[in-house]
Amino acid sequence: MAIKLELIKLRKEYGSLIAVDDVSLQVEEGETMALLGPSGCGKSTTLNMIVGLELPTSGDILIDGQSVAKTPVGRRNVGLVFQDYAVFTHMTVRQNIEYGLRVRKVARAEMNKQVDKIASFVGLGDKLRRKPAELSASELQRVAIGRTLVTNPQILLLDEPLSNLEAEMRHQMRRELHRIQLETKQTIIYVTHDQIEALSLAHRIAVMNLGVLQQYDTAYNVYHYPRSTFVGSFLGNPPMNFITGVVKSNGGQRYLDQNGAIIPLPPSKPLTAVPDGKSVKVGIRAETVDVVPAGAQGAFSAELLAVEPQGPEAVITAKFGGGTIKFVVPTSAVPKSTGHVSLVPHANLLALFDAESGVRLMNGAGS
Amino acid sequence: MPPKKFTWYNGIGLTLALIFALFPVFWMVSTSFKPSNEWVKQPPVWISGNATVENYLTILWPSVLLEKRGGLTQYTEEGEQKVAETTGVGGAVGDILIKSAWQAIWGSIIISVFATALSIIVGLMAALSISRYRFGGNTTPFFILSGRMFPPIAIAIPFVVMFSDVGATDTYWGLILAYAAVTVPFSTWMLKSFIDDLPKEIEEAAMMDGLSRWMAHVKITIPLIKGGIIATTLFILILNWSEFLFALILTYTKVATIPVQLAKYFSATEGALYGVQAALATVSIVPLVIIGFFIQKHLVRGLTLGAIKR
Repeated sequence: MAIKLELIKLRKEYGSLIAVDDVSLQVEEGETMALLGPSGCGKSTTLNMIVGLELPTSGDILIDGQSVAKTPVGRRNVGLVFQDYAVFTHMTVRQNIEYGLRVRKVARAEMNKQVDKIASFVGLGDKLRRKPAELSASELQRVAIGRTLVTNPQILLLDEPLSNLEAEMRHQMRRELHRIQLETKQTIIYVTHDQIEALSLAHRIAVMNLGVLQQYDTAYNVYHYPRSTFVGSFLGNPPMNFITGVVKSNGGQRYLDQNGAIIPLPPSKPLTAVPDGKSVKVGIRAETVDVVPAGAQGAFSAELLAVEPQGPEAVITAKFGGGTIKFVVPTSAVPKSTGHVSLVPHANLLALFDAESGVRLMNGAGS
Repeated sequence: MPPKKFTWYNGIGLTLALIFALFPVFWMVSTSFKPSNEWVKQPPVWISGNATVENYLTILWPSVLLEKRGGLTQYTEEGEQKVAETTGVGGAVGDILIKSAWQAIWGSIIISVFATALSIIVGLMAALSISRYRFGGNTTPFFILSGRMFPPIAIAIPFVVMFSDVGATDTYWGLILAYAAVTVPFSTWMLKSFIDDLPKEIEEAAMMDGLSRWMAHVKITIPLIKGGIIATTLFILILNWSEFLFALILTYTKVATIPVQLAKYFSATEGALYGVQAALATVSIVPLVIIGFFIQKHLVRGLTLGAIKR
C-alpha cells in the first residue's frame, strides 16, 4: 500500500503554548486513521494543519509524497467534515452539495449527475430541495459528508462527526460511516475523543495528549499493548487498572509488593529485564483476569467491594492495597459471597510501566 | 415557541399600548390637516371639521397656495418679480412661504442614503476584521465607540472648526461624511454581533471548497447575515434621517435637511407653525414607513438573530 499522507515533525506553537509537538506519522492509502485524545490535546489543530486552515510552525505535510505545507487551503484536494456541520443555511441541500463543484466550475449537467449520485449515496436523494432548517441533525451530517465527498477528495477528514448526535443516531451514523468507508475506499482521518468510535472505525489509532503523539499503532495494539499509562487509561471502559509497587523476588517467583499487598508476576519476557527493587506500575486491563479459587497458582487476592451485573458480564470493584481496582468478569464467575476474590491476570497482556514517567518498560507483542 | 392563545386581557393590554404609542402619530397627522385657528385651540380639536391641505401646499407647492389667495409669485417676462401680497398659513410671510421644503426633502434623501451606505460598508469591513481577525486586539472596538461616549454637542464644535477649514460646511459631501463618522460605531457594533453569532467554520467550509477568504465572506458570510445587515441599515437610516444637531450647525443655505427645515417653520407673529410642521413631519415619515413595511420580515429576523441559536 502506498503512503497517502505523511506528517514529518509537524509542530504548532501559539506563543509559548505548544499545541502540536513534533508529530510524525504515516497513513496508508485506503486506511482509516483515528486521531484520539482528550479535548485540547492538539488533534483538531493537527487536522486544521493537514487541510490548510492553519499553518504549521515547523515540519512538513506530504500527500502522495508531495509537500503541501505551503499549498493554500482549498487546493490540497482534501475534504473536511466539520464538527458543527457548517452547512450553508441559506442554500438548499442540492445547492450545498453542489457548492464545491460550482466553485470548480464544473458543467451543469455533470454537476447534477454527481450531486444526484452522492445524494442517494448518503441517503438524501429525496431531500435535495429542502433547506437545512428543515433537516434533523443526522441529515445535516449527511449533507456535510455529501458536500465533501462530491469533490472526490484524496483524503476525507472528519472532525468529531458524531459528537453532536444523540446516542441512537450515533450508532446509526457510525454504521453509515462504516459503509462509506467500505464503499468509497477513501483514506479517512477521523478526529475523536471517543475511544469506542476510534476502536470501531479505525484501522490505526494515533493517541495524542498535550500535543504529543503518545502512540501510533493498529487499533488492536493500541488497546492491548498501550505504550504509556496515559494510553492505557484513555482507552477501555472501565480503564486499565494501575497498581504501583516495588518488584521483589521470593525464590523463583517474582512479585509486585504494594505495602504488603502482593501480585505475583508471570515469568514472561517483559519482566525478566526488570531488576528487583524497581518501582513500577502494573497495568491490567479490566477484562484480562480470570476469577479462580483461593490459593490458585499466580493468583492475587483483593477485597470485594461491589458487584454490578450487566447481563452476561459483571463489573466488580475490589480493594487492593491502598486503592480500588475494577474488573469485568463473566457474571457466572462472580463469587456468591462477599469477602475476598482471587484473580489471575492474563500473563501476556499484563503490562509494566515506569512508576514515574508512565512509559512502558518493555514492549509487548505490539512492536 | 407555539403561538399563545389570544385572550381578552392581553387584547386590552395591546390596545392600550398601541394607543399610547400611536397617539403622537395620530396627533401629528390630525394637526397637519387643521386650519391655523385649530392648531392650539382649547378644548383641543381631535379631528378637524374644516380639514385643509393648505399646510401641505405651504411645504410642497407654496406658489399654488399664494395664487389661490390672490398673491403672485410668478416672474413676468421682463424678469420682474412680484411680491406675495397676502400672508400664507398662520401669517407666514416672505422666505418661509415662497421657499418650499423640497430642498430639505431632497437634501435629507441624498444625505441619509449616501451616509447610510457609507456607514454600512465601513462598518461591515470593520466588523469583519474585528470579529474574524481580531483586528486591533481588545481595545480598538472600544475606541471606535469612544465618539459615542460624549454628548454630541461636545464633538459637534470641533466638527464645525474642522469643516470650516476644509470648506466642508454647507455641502452634501460634508454632511454625508459627518453622518457616516457618527454612525459607524453603531453599524460596526451591530454588524459585529451578527458576525460573532455565525460560526467561523461555515467560512472555513467554503474555503475548503476552494473560495478565497475574501470570497468566502462575500458569498457566505454576507448572505447569511443579510437580515442583520438590513436591520442595521434601517437603524442607521433612521438615525441619519432624524439627525438635527449636526445638520443645524454644518449647513447654512445651500444644504438643508428635513429636521432643520422643520425648525424653520416659525413665524414672528404666530410662533411655531404647528400645522405646517406637522405636515412636513407627516411627509418625512412616509419613506420610512414604506421601507419598514417591505423589510419587516428581515427586521424581526435581524433584530432577533442574536437570540436564536441553531
